[in-house]
Amino acid sequence: MSTIKRREFLYGLGASLGSVAFSSMLRGEEVAAKKAIEQSPLAPKTPLLKPRAKNVIMLFMEGGPSHVDTFDPKPKLNSLHLEESKRATGLLTGKRFYVGSPFKSRKVGQSGIEMSDQWQFLADPEVADELCVYRGCKAESLNHPEALLHMNTGSRLGGDPGLGSWVTYGLGSENQNLPGYVVMTELALPQAGPANWTNGFLPAYYQGTRLRSKGSPILDLNPPKFKSRAHQRKALDMLAKLNSEHAALHPEHADLKARMESYELAFRMQMSVPGVVDIKSEPEHVRRAYGLDRKETAEFGRQCLMARRLIEEGVRFVQIFSGGWDSHDYLEKGHSSRIASVDQPIAALIKDLKQRGMLEDTLVVWTGEFGRTPDNNYRGGVTSLGRGHNADAMNMWFAGGGTKAGTVVGATDEIGAEAVDVVHPIRDVHITLLHLLGLDDNKLTYFHAGRYKQLSQFGGELIPEIIA
Amino acid sequence: MPFSCNQIFETSSSIYRVLFCALVFFSLTGESIKAQDDADRLFTLRVLPVMKEKCFGCHGTDPDDIRGDYNMLTRDALIGGGETGDAAIIPGDPLESPLYKAIMWEDMEMPPKETDRLSKEETEYFRDWIKAGAPWPTEEVQLKIQKELWKVKENEEGMIVDHSGGTSDDWTYRRYKKEEIWAFHAVKDVEVDLESDDQNPIDRFIEKKLADAELKPAKPADVRTLIRRATYDLTGLPPTPEETSKFIRAMEANPQEAWNELIDRLLESQHYGERWAQHWLDVVRYADTSGFSNDYERSNAWRYRDYVIRAFNNDKPFNTFVLEQIAGDELRPDDPEAKIATGMLRMGPWGTQMIPQKEARQIYLDDLVHNVGQSFLSMPMRCCKCHDHKFDPMPTRDYYRMYATFATTQPAEIDVPFLPEENRKGVGPKKKLVKELLDYAMSKKNELVNKQESAAKEWYEENDLPYKNEKDRLKDPEDDKPPRHIGLTYEEQGKKKVREQDVWIWQRRMERYKPMVQGVYNGQDDWKNGRKLRVAKKIKQDWRPENHILAGGALDAKGDPVKPGVLSPVGLAVDPEADDPWAITDELEGRRLAFAKWVADDRNPLTARSIVNRIWQYHFGKGIVKTANNFGVKGNQPTHPELLDWLTKDFVDNGWKIKRLHRMIMDSDVYRRSGTPINATKLAASDPDNKLLAIWQPRRLTAEEIRDSTLLVSGELNREMGGVPIMPEINMEVALQPRMIQFSIAPAHQPSRTPAERNRRTVYAYRVRGQADPLLEIMNQPNPNESCEMRDSAAVTPQAFTLLNSDTMTDRSIAFALRVQEELPGDVEAQIARVIRLAFNRFATDEEKSKMTEYLKEMQNYHAENKPEEIKYPTQVVRSLVEEFTGEPFEFVEKLNVYEDYVPDPKPWTVSAETRALADVCLLLMNSNEFLYVY
Repeated sequence: MSTIKRREFLYGLGASLGSVAFSSMLRGEEVAAKKAIEQSPLAPKTPLLKPRAKNVIMLFMEGGPSHVDTFDPKPKLNSLHLEESKRATGLLTGKRFYVGSPFKSRKVGQSGIEMSDQWQFLADPEVADELCVYRGCKAESLNHPEALLHMNTGSRLGGDPGLGSWVTYGLGSENQNLPGYVVMTELALPQAGPANWTNGFLPAYYQGTRLRSKGSPILDLNPPKFKSRAHQRKALDMLAKLNSEHAALHPEHADLKARMESYELAFRMQMSVPGVVDIKSEPEHVRRAYGLDRKETAEFGRQCLMARRLIEEGVRFVQIFSGGWDSHDYLEKGHSSRIASVDQPIAALIKDLKQRGMLEDTLVVWTGEFGRTPDNNYRGGVTSLGRGHNADAMNMWFAGGGTKAGTVVGATDEIGAEAVDVVHPIRDVHITLLHLLGLDDNKLTYFHAGRYKQLSQFGGELIPEIIA
Repeated sequence: MPFSCNQIFETSSSIYRVLFCALVFFSLTGESIKAQDDADRLFTLRVLPVMKEKCFGCHGTDPDDIRGDYNMLTRDALIGGGETGDAAIIPGDPLESPLYKAIMWEDMEMPPKETDRLSKEETEYFRDWIKAGAPWPTEEVQLKIQKELWKVKENEEGMIVDHSGGTSDDWTYRRYKKEEIWAFHAVKDVEVDLESDDQNPIDRFIEKKLADAELKPAKPADVRTLIRRATYDLTGLPPTPEETSKFIRAMEANPQEAWNELIDRLLESQHYGERWAQHWLDVVRYADTSGFSNDYERSNAWRYRDYVIRAFNNDKPFNTFVLEQIAGDELRPDDPEAKIATGMLRMGPWGTQMIPQKEARQIYLDDLVHNVGQSFLSMPMRCCKCHDHKFDPMPTRDYYRMYATFATTQPAEIDVPFLPEENRKGVGPKKKLVKELLDYAMSKKNELVNKQESAAKEWYEENDLPYKNEKDRLKDPEDDKPPRHIGLTYEEQGKKKVREQDVWIWQRRMERYKPMVQGVYNGQDDWKNGRKLRVAKKIKQDWRPENHILAGGALDAKGDPVKPGVLSPVGLAVDPEADDPWAITDELEGRRLAFAKWVADDRNPLTARSIVNRIWQYHFGKGIVKTANNFGVKGNQPTHPELLDWLTKDFVDNGWKIKRLHRMIMDSDVYRRSGTPINATKLAASDPDNKLLAIWQPRRLTAEEIRDSTLLVSGELNREMGGVPIMPEINMEVALQPRMIQFSIAPAHQPSRTPAERNRRTVYAYRVRGQADPLLEIMNQPNPNESCEMRDSAAVTPQAFTLLNSDTMTDRSIAFALRVQEELPGDVEAQIARVIRLAFNRFATDEEKSKMTEYLKEMQNYHAENKPEEIKYPTQVVRSLVEEFTGEPFEFVEKLNVYEDYVPDPKPWTVSAETRALADVCLLLMNSNEFLYVY
């Protein structure tokens, strides 16, 4: 077999592409439906390597969370507070001064992971000892959209497939009545928008579907209000009649069947989506655990709870964006309020996954697009207590899914200006994530624009320290 | 040991044999010397390359990590063996040599990975070489051997391609199979042996291949199918029932004449240009915004879009079209049209925000090189930005020669007067709406600035210092000026930034109406801000950029210096007599024109083939070369190479005219075939992808065709051409969805005020990189950041939601129903017959009529009981943002001024239950496969 053929074969591309959509179906239905699943581009696939994780929940803190004020405290920096900084890198210009962290830090859990005292719920040993904090990653871009795209698609330029697209391309999805790759955002989309979860050059089956928090959870999921469900069913029946008479005239044209099937799938999705989205069915204590009863945590809590429900239903990749981490100024206020909005929901999510025995198979990733500087410039000539963008240092953590629980991997220098230990670029993080899912970045490729494209762009290396 | 050349001949593969014959030619005299030479050659050309590729990685390259303590880098070490202490090679006796056994996977398995395992031929090289005494000639001898071989341009191994030179000899002299670099060979003058005088040469080529495969072509398609196919193909719209009836009558009288007349009429239609421009705009990634951080508006991009439409409608020769887009400004500096054309060089997403200037410049030039190569030459260039091309004979040197070609090209908004043919209708009222928003933003901003400045004044008074405005005091020491944002609350600080950004946005949009183009000029690199790019005040005529090969594409890894040039492996020299036959001028001006002339040269084997293949592709759903953007080794090879060359030569010989090519293609039998195979089983078995074109391949309508067709059948389509982008009504949730940009939220999508303004063809719709129209996006309109060579039509479930449930489709169905009710008042059955005729371009069957009428009655009852609520358009929206510095949310008002005086389309609540019921029928028809597919 030629290389192209072999790869197409491995990932079920080639001829079957046009055949069946998003396809089917409710567990235990007829043979035809089963066959449709097998032929579907989103059919569950067995990865080449032994997987440690099956699903991913990615919590994306948009804006660049400050590592030194979250999971990489730097006492030395406090002693330099407001002293003039002589650092000169990249785009930094003008006079600069160091900014100590407004937060205290402490070691938590049996593992003694050090984090800022603003994390009250994550500090719970039951949660903290599940974390694998990674402090060695270096981003490349200092600009939000490019950095977001880099972390989410492996390329800074936009147009490449999102992480979740690659993963569903490689693994398919377990539930054919829901999208395999779900994205939840705040009301405002993150910078660079839907390019963060696009299918790029991969076929459209692998695009991220936004589950919207307000209005219709999926765009136009339901007909206008004056059309009832029964009305829609009648319309679909009539449409099926029209289409099957038409298909009889073109028996050789397989696409027609695929489109007919997609309408039926749509109808089933109309039924299953509201069920997953309806978190009122969760017991009161669960809702409270996620912070749904408090204004500051209600939105992110709802999304975390939804993430668990989606993963439970067999969705492969869920990503949640939390914005507002771009604290150039008023760091104390900015970061403490952002942390407060996600701390309890995230802790609840990890505990909940653990309790249900799902954490083993579910890789939880917490990250931003870059870290922040230990110093700041005189913004408008004023001493502002915040931090700039830093592509040389950041932190992220993982939980579950075959990552090493209760550890800290890598380190930044004594003021958190630059990663110095177990230093890896973003692509290595991507390669490691794929590896945990049983996917080999060098083999998970797609031929586009003259070459085999891959998430890491040109390959890279694993970060073995992260893997349990 | 007896050893002769013959022995090698007997035991080796055929390729090897031929290679050796070539070598023997250069041999010295004397049998033993010859044998020694042969063995040296065997080592140099066969054994060593295998060891380099498959052994040295673990056994030599890294001195700190030598596996099994076995170093293979010298003859002594190679023979001596590793940690076992035994010799690895017994010269003269391969069968006893552990190395040979290892590569045979006998005792040991080396190389250890199955995928790296040596081929039978390769093991034979080792065997013969050991037999010959395992010589390891000096590097000098090795080089001599290689040089001898390089003199042989072509052998069984493949051909060496002439070019400007790679970064290593191994790459420079590597060989390619002739057929895999087909695109680099000159276009052949193919003879056609027509079977009869009136046979279309295309059919001769196609039918020859079908006959070889023992496949029978499908019968001709029926008349209705033909007019629908041709009309969609050439105009992107369905035929009207009247056009169809007329065509059917004409076909009965004289089929060939009727068909020719139809094609002529369609090619003359203004809609032809709209449809075919869309194809080209897909390739060059047309959008009205710049992408990147702020997605700033490219206010005058629409003039390029209209240029492309005009070019197709006027049948501009494609070579001229090429010249104008790459170098129109140099070609005819005083011609506005030529300057508008250079908009092609501004189509890529690009910005400068927070990107170091040099890097931003590199991003722009990389984008140009790649996309000019991909669009005109079907030669994606990105691969050889970092290294010599892995598969194509394209040296990285040529990437940087092409890069140097564009190195004096600067993007800018340039003053270019409007042409009489450019649509500037209704500019007044459109401009007024933008002005209102600009004034609003300005007044809101000024309120906050005034508040801040009066506090600042107080501060200066208190501190007994003279007042300085915000700009003047910026650089003053902290103690000598008021705190930043003095007098403003956190909320007001955030709002101020929002309004500042708004002012920029609306100022940009005002430029839509100014006589400017998104174009390029030649000049020096200077500091640029992507939100406003203007021609440099002073152009340094003697400025010459220094360009180098950049190893790995890194700006600081400068390699050999390079001068502007064309792509050498294409085999078309600029000046065959010159020292550097591929060089072009290195003056500030004229680089692009020289390059463009080379691209558009009749003899360039890529350009004409590329466009001929694209045209073919858009007619048949796939190209003669399936990868329309990539004619390289990793692209597909042509299914009908002779046909491609024949068409290409004909195209060039007849003046690069695209309309002529359409006529030729559409005149063929293969274009007029039915989609039903003669023998479906056989076709599925021997040509499942229909590469040989035994049948017509049906296709789904593109996103634009779907929207345009629904507007056409509903009677709403306004056929006005060109002008500033139109704003269709899009999904309201998406229209109002906040979209983050720096410091602010991008303005909401507001539809054009009147139906006539917004219900125009989709090619005119405002194209924002950061926000797609969800209806078009879900129907596979491509993302404009990447070139789209061919539309995807994957059926994903959300398409069903959009087509069945969206307000847009509901509105179209209501308008469709109203149209037919007006045409045939009171007669329900006639109305049913009419909607079917309009949607499907055929008469309804009696069964359909009765079924649909029954359904209609049911729906009438339903709608009599279920009244829709009126939905009001908002005239403003409250936005919420998190203040960047404080993390505190704050709110501000965005005005939606279009809705203050808005003229909506007919809505469910403005029509009767009967109309809504008929609209249900219309909606089903527009969702049906018969409507959505072209046969």
